[in-house]
Amino acid sequence: MSDSSGREDRPAGLNVEEIVEAEQVVGERAPEEVALGEKERRDARGRQALTTAAWTAPGALWLLFFLFAPVVMILLVSFWTRTVSGFESVWTLENYEFLFDSNVYWDQLWNSFWHSLVIVALSLVLGFPVAYFLAICVTSLRYQIALFIVALAPFWTSYLIRAVAWIPMMGRQGALNTALQEVGLISEPLDILLFSDFAVTVAMLQLYILFMVAPIFFMLAQIDRSSLEAARDLGANAFKTFREVVLPQSAPGIVIGSIFVFILTMGEFATVRIIGGGTVSSVGTIVQTQVASVQFPQAAASAVFLVLAMILGVFVLLRFANLREDL
Amino acid sequence: MRGRWTKRILAVYFVVFLLFLYGPMIVMAALSFQGPQGAVTFPMRGLGFHWWDELLNGSRADTIRETAIRSLELSIVCGLVVAVLAFTLSMGYRRRFRFDGVLFYLIMLALMTPGILLSLGTAFFWQFLDLETSLWQTALGTSVVWGLPFAFLIMVAVWNRYDNTVEEASRDLGASGLRTFREVTLPLVWTGLLGAFLFGFTLAWNEYDRIALLAAGENTLPLEIFALTVGSVIRPDLYALGTATTAVSLIAVILFLLVAAIVLRRRARTVTPQEGYAELATDGNGAVPAGAPASRAR
Repeated sequence: MSDSSGREDRPAGLNVEEIVEAEQVVGERAPEEVALGEKERRDARGRQALTTAAWTAPGALWLLFFLFAPVVMILLVSFWTRTVSGFESVWTLENYEFLFDSNVYWDQLWNSFWHSLVIVALSLVLGFPVAYFLAICVTSLRYQIALFIVALAPFWTSYLIRAVAWIPMMGRQGALNTALQEVGLISEPLDILLFSDFAVTVAMLQLYILFMVAPIFFMLAQIDRSSLEAARDLGANAFKTFREVVLPQSAPGIVIGSIFVFILTMGEFATVRIIGGGTVSSVGTIVQTQVASVQFPQAAASAVFLVLAMILGVFVLLRFANLREDL
Repeated sequence: MRGRWTKRILAVYFVVFLLFLYGPMIVMAALSFQGPQGAVTFPMRGLGFHWWDELLNGSRADTIRETAIRSLELSIVCGLVVAVLAFTLSMGYRRRFRFDGVLFYLIMLALMTPGILLSLGTAFFWQFLDLETSLWQTALGTSVVWGLPFAFLIMVAVWNRYDNTVEEASRDLGASGLRTFREVTLPLVWTGLLGAFLFGFTLAWNEYDRIALLAAGENTLPLEIFALTVGSVIRPDLYALGTATTAVSLIAVILFLLVAAIVLRRRARTVTPQEGYAELATDGNGAVPAGAPASRAR
């Protein structure tokens, strides 16, 4: 790009912060810029700012229009009055009063909150060994990439279809019940397998565990394997090596993965509807029902508290991570 | 000794994990190849292409073909828009600017906002603007919002590994800004752009939540699948449909990987200037020729 005069002498192979730092230094003290007058320098800066603005404007505008405005709208509509066709901009607290009177909503919010935390914990426990295996045990880079892609490929497939695919597994005559009966573990088919909390948990785990595995993998892959050997040579046992080397290195990945899984499962409703049948609900399905009956402002109020619960959950997860680091 | 056992146990666990991920989809695919008596659970009743035939030529075939084509068009456009926007945004992020922190949080918000809320908020916003929601405006808009953060992160990773000096060299040799862009920058980053497209394409191809309230009667394939699953009795042709859409996603991924592998192999074969100098340097008596730049760690 034509706006990079004055940074020719940047050394290659620096990380982002260093580059940014170097850029700032160069930007302030480059000899040719010092030689310029105050006005020219300001012009050069202005041109740079314009170029950057031109590059970022399309994406920023798209996000403002299709992300920021809708989120703000939800907040506004939750304070507006319901009409037959939707809402009108007359301020009211009715929607929140209605919401605060609804025990069903709060029970459901609480349930969804805990359910999501349980799924976070399960996906961490079940996903961590996968990330560890891929990042540490597989030593050939080629196999590592290949296996990682095999493990991650379902991310690019439809979550609806993956939810639907649990139906033949879970039903009374599903693959799981049949297999368990064949082995002789159970004599009667289990009813809890489909249209139940259990089924929803298993399906969501399968859908979202990738969001836990990937960040942990990326963090663990940066571990220098020789540091593991060093720890062992210095007499650390497997547990100690894990706690002192592996866990701290993977902590950011665990936090990011947890936030991902928590938020995605908290806002989930299509999977709940498909796997849970009509018997399991979530905040998402409540919002959906309110939308279906054109109670838009109430749906908005429900959504606002869903977001607040999510933010609370993210804080809990961050707190937990900090505690871990302090220990 | 202990290390090897850990490794073996984890390897077995990894296989179990893959079974957990792929098992249901494989079972679904198998069940789609049943005879006319086929049901939605085991045991398999007969073998054959009855339900695939039903899918392609049966009573629902026209609707499904229509929605599939619509989905394909939407996904391709979404992939293109995502690639372009991710590219321009990441170009901006090659240097610091005043609101880079705020904008970064906005991009991450796109990752964190639940689909149903985005769908709901957009529906409100368009009602507020007194506009009709439609596939090509609202549904495309929110699909792009979903793909953009992933694509943006890919492009940022690409620029982090990118050597800025090649652009400067090109300019020093007298190439114009546009020519530098076309002949130097683009060839080096286009696999990243392809990755960005892949995310835009597959995420739109599979998206339900973000489109649910916005397509205004013009169903895409995921909306049709949801309607078939929840609104009517499930038949094995739904499994055939699911298998087919999964296949499209996986083919897109595999095509991308093939192209990336070919490009990487070809790039590995071309000699970089540093290697050229190294070759010269070791040629003969091993003296570094005059004028060769000091080799740099990359």
